[in-house]
Amino acid sequence: MSLGYHPLVKQLLDGELSLAELPPELRAEGAEALRLIDAVDRAPVVLSPALDDRVMALVRRHAASRTRRAWHWLTAPRDVELRLRLRPVVWAGALAVAAGVALLLLARAPGTTPAPAPVARSGARDSVFVRFVLYAPGARHVAVAGTFNQWDLNAAPLARAGTSGVWTTTLALPVGQHQYAFVVDGERWVADPAAPAIDDGFGRRNSMVAVTSRGAHTL
Amino acid sequence: MGLAGDATDGEVVQAVLGGEVERYAVLVHRYRDRYARYAARMLGSLDAGEDAVQDALVRAFDRLADCREPDKFAGWLFLILRNRCYAERRRQQREGRPLDERDDAVAAADRPDGTFEQTERIRALERSLVHLTPEQREVFVLKHIEGLAYDEIAGRTGATVASLKMRMHRAYDRLRDLMKEHL
Repeated sequence: MSLGYHPLVKQLLDGELSLAELPPELRAEGAEALRLIDAVDRAPVVLSPALDDRVMALVRRHAASRTRRAWHWLTAPRDVELRLRLRPVVWAGALAVAAGVALLLLARAPGTTPAPAPVARSGARDSVFVRFVLYAPGARHVAVAGTFNQWDLNAAPLARAGTSGVWTTTLALPVGQHQYAFVVDGERWVADPAAPAIDDGFGRRNSMVAVTSRGAHTL
Repeated sequence: MGLAGDATDGEVVQAVLGGEVERYAVLVHRYRDRYARYAARMLGSLDAGEDAVQDALVRAFDRLADCREPDKFAGWLFLILRNRCYAERRRQQREGRPLDERDDAVAAADRPDGTFEQTERIRALERSLVHLTPEQREVFVLKHIEGLAYDEIAGRTGATVASLKMRMHRAYDRLRDLMKEHL
């Protein structure tokens, strides 16, 4: 069984009392306790002379690798993920604003307004998609030639739309006025019955279409 | 700014943070032995103490930007070393390795004027310190080997003076039991 020091002896060891201040009956215990403290070795501990060099070698290595890491961080490409945390009410507002902006752009963007026949679709900023349609049930081949393709008979063939005798194609036409005609079976020029036509000066009639930033219009 | 030898800790820290890595050698030289005794006693061997001091100095360099009060580098370094000693002790306990109890584990040099009995008592105390808890050993080392007052120890470790005294008084009782053949 271990026997602890008396609290007053512990105060002696703490330096708060002297041996003479202890009650006489505790002085022997106090003297024994002081022998314990007297056994403390306070001699300085001297480390290896090489310690400085070892530490500095590691420090230099860490500093160099820190520089490399910093350079790598600055120069290496990396994927960046952006996350937005919005409350639902904010989302609803943002979506409403986005929808409004989209509608505004649709109304103003070139070629994005639906145009009357024979046109329809939006296209690039300086061109508009125009749909050409011809009813020619007995035809074997139909093409459209005009000022937009230098009257090339083979540049813009129409496709048969089922078995109804309707032929159709959609071309991207630049903004401006264009004259055109359908070429049936490679030899017969046919004006567009759905569009106005003018005399070409050679005894034939050319159909006319005006392509603007707001769409295509028959003239 | 002073010369390397008489520059304050704060000046040296600022220089190192500014890119003068070699200036760190001033701090290494200044503090390499100051806490060596504490580390050696805490870990029970001079070799382990030296490893801990080296590691603490390198860690301090790595985290130098976190040193909020560069003029108090010494106290900050002590905390790094203290954490290192506790971590090492925990690692030794996990691995089931007791602290070194060899007579020469920590340099207990014979005192030229000491008797054989006194020398044996010194060595017995060194061996007994190993059997204290790390907290008891720390307060004993700081008070009776490093010569700090309780309030100074409290300032370094963050413990209250009352809790430090409680640890110390338990350490006294434990040492008395361990050293009964030498007292």
